[in-house]
Amino acid sequence: MPVSWRRTLQSNWFHVLVLLFLVMFPHLVGWITGDSPLGVGGRPRGQSVFWQLIFIELFIFAILAMSYNLMFGFTGVISFGHALFFGMGGYILGLVLEKTGAASEVGLAAGVIIGIVVCGVLGLIIGVVSLRLRGVYFAIFTLAVAEMFAIYIGRWPVTNAEDGFVLSNLPAFLNPARDRLTYYYLVLILMIFTFLFIRRLINSPTGSVLLAIRENESRAQSIGYNTLIFKLLSITLAGMIAAGAGMLQVILTKKVGPEILTVSFTVDPLLMTIIGGVGTFSGPVIGASVLHLSERIFNREFIIGSMSINIGQNWSLILGIAFILVVMVFPQGIVGTWAKWRAGKKTTLE
Amino acid sequence: MSGAVFEPPLRNPKDIFISDQDCRSFMTNVILQARNLRKEFGGLVAVDDVSLDVAPGTVHSIIGPNGAGKTTLFNLLTGQYKPTRGQVFFKGQDITHVALHRRAHLGMGRSFQITNIFPNLTVLENVRLAAQALNRSQFNFFRRADSFKDLVTRAYEVIELVGLRELALSPATVLPHGGKRKLELAILLVADPELLLLDEPTAGMASEQVPELIKTIDTIRQKGNKTVILVEHNMNVVMNISHRITVMNLGKLLAEGSPAEISADKTVQNVYLGGLYGDAIEGTRHE
Ligand SMILES: Nc1ncnc2c1ncn2[C@@H]1O[C@H](COP(=O)(O)OP(=O)(O)O)[C@@H](O)[C@H]1O
Ligand SMILES: [Mg+2]
Repeated sequence: MPVSWRRTLQSNWFHVLVLLFLVMFPHLVGWITGDSPLGVGGRPRGQSVFWQLIFIELFIFAILAMSYNLMFGFTGVISFGHALFFGMGGYILGLVLEKTGAASEVGLAAGVIIGIVVCGVLGLIIGVVSLRLRGVYFAIFTLAVAEMFAIYIGRWPVTNAEDGFVLSNLPAFLNPARDRLTYYYLVLILMIFTFLFIRRLINSPTGSVLLAIRENESRAQSIGYNTLIFKLLSITLAGMIAAGAGMLQVILTKKVGPEILTVSFTVDPLLMTIIGGVGTFSGPVIGASVLHLSERIFNREFIIGSMSINIGQNWSLILGIAFILVVMVFPQGIVGTWAKWRAGKKTTLE
Repeated sequence: MSGAVFEPPLRNPKDIFISDQDCRSFMTNVILQARNLRKEFGGLVAVDDVSLDVAPGTVHSIIGPNGAGKTTLFNLLTGQYKPTRGQVFFKGQDITHVALHRRAHLGMGRSFQITNIFPNLTVLENVRLAAQALNRSQFNFFRRADSFKDLVTRAYEVIELVGLRELALSPATVLPHGGKRKLELAILLVADPELLLLDEPTAGMASEQVPELIKTIDTIRQKGNKTVILVEHNMNVVMNISHRITVMNLGKLLAEGSPAEISADKTVQNVYLGGLYGDAIEGTRHE
């Protein structure tokens, strides 16, 4: 093995382990439970297929959270309107697939491209109009725009108002209800791609300017950076990635409806980013894992002996308290705290 | 709210445009010129009709007691504030409305009275960013930033120059105060600007370190044939290195001249020795 490869492996051993685990995961569950990853009795059923669904949802949230972190964690731009991009990505793909009469493959390709481009332009327009606003005013503006879209589209007859519409024109290979394993790997690959893309971007000269803006925007200006351009780039890219996540979501559920535009698709990635670690590469992924898995595992009724505890009823409350604790005790999130602890240990050892 | 009633008639803007001072700026060599700058904050006139000519290659100091309006004037020159009235020219070009980031590209570099760095980035990265700002590589998002070796080398040179070599890889936030002031200077120098605008570069520094920093600034000016605009509230600090000194008080231009002229000036002595501003002469600092 060439030295450079070995070095890459050594410095990324944690990522490689996680990756191996995720690749093997459907099969691991299959071995343990005896349910084939491809389903049981020719139907997509059984434990492995069930867990694949949960992990696909997790990957989609991770992509969404990484896009949020690009803006929030690496550029210091706080937006409350991220759901707009997620939802519009889903809606545009759905519209192109179902309302244009295009063949399914053509519709898919066109829908993905149009959706990503439109959401990029949308991010650009919102940025040009509002990025001169500072901090909280920008956040409020983005919230208002996103809510406006959510309300309007929730009443739009073309997309069946609040009922939404079903995706029936998907290509056969992209039918998570039939072949979930393929979709699992597709979304996993896209998540890894997003991770690598953002890491590459942040380590580049352009990315270093984003960090400088986060640290001290007026100073970045005074040393000669046109900070508006870089913030626009960040919000546009984040919007495009979020749109992609929204598309993966509607393909998974085979349904497009106004719920994908609701503010929870802003709040969730925000919480995931903060819990995982703002401005770290793996923080959003870890935050998404922790939040999504704990919700899936604990958000239900538990029966212990004769006692029944319904955590589901109080899920939001528990989440809120957990979040407050994290922000107060570990403001740098899981990854940030871990990195700090390791750095501290190293310096005391040397 | 303007102080027009109390202004001598000659200070009327209409007269200024044909004044001697104005004509001179076209004939002689002026790198930076301020014309009748005025800045109001609500009802407060922080800078009141100040004009200034700065000759290239010189150290031009702006002094005055705390609250005189020096930082406000400075921010008008650097573009941080837009003047209520008046204009700023750099090498003959009207830059009053030129965007902040463009000024760096024109060759103006500024420091801040309050330390203003990128706290969670390393010292090296702080300086490298400033080098990169005037370089096309900032629009590259495929290669690693540290693979642009010339920028890294250049950053290291300047870090060495200000004496922060050992701390190059530490986060800027852990530097002691004096170190942060040096970093501030390095960020400024790496871009090699023609005109250095320094707002109280020694603010908060231990007084025994002040002469050294002032000397460094003068050395840099001489070697690179640069122009320095230096804002200070302590007049002793600037007496030895300044070619020209402008004295401000209560937002107005009080006096201008060579160091010798200024130290002999009665009105300046009154302002500084009036008791109220004793600190500005003694060298004790209240930041
Ligand atoms: N941003 C601002 N808003 C309102 N008043 C200000 C502002 N900046 C400065 N001032 C006021 O203008 C006057 C001049 O301040 P400044 O220019 O900072 O003086 P100096 O730098 O000479 O100490 C002071 O009275 C100060 O309170
Ligand atoms: Mg000041």
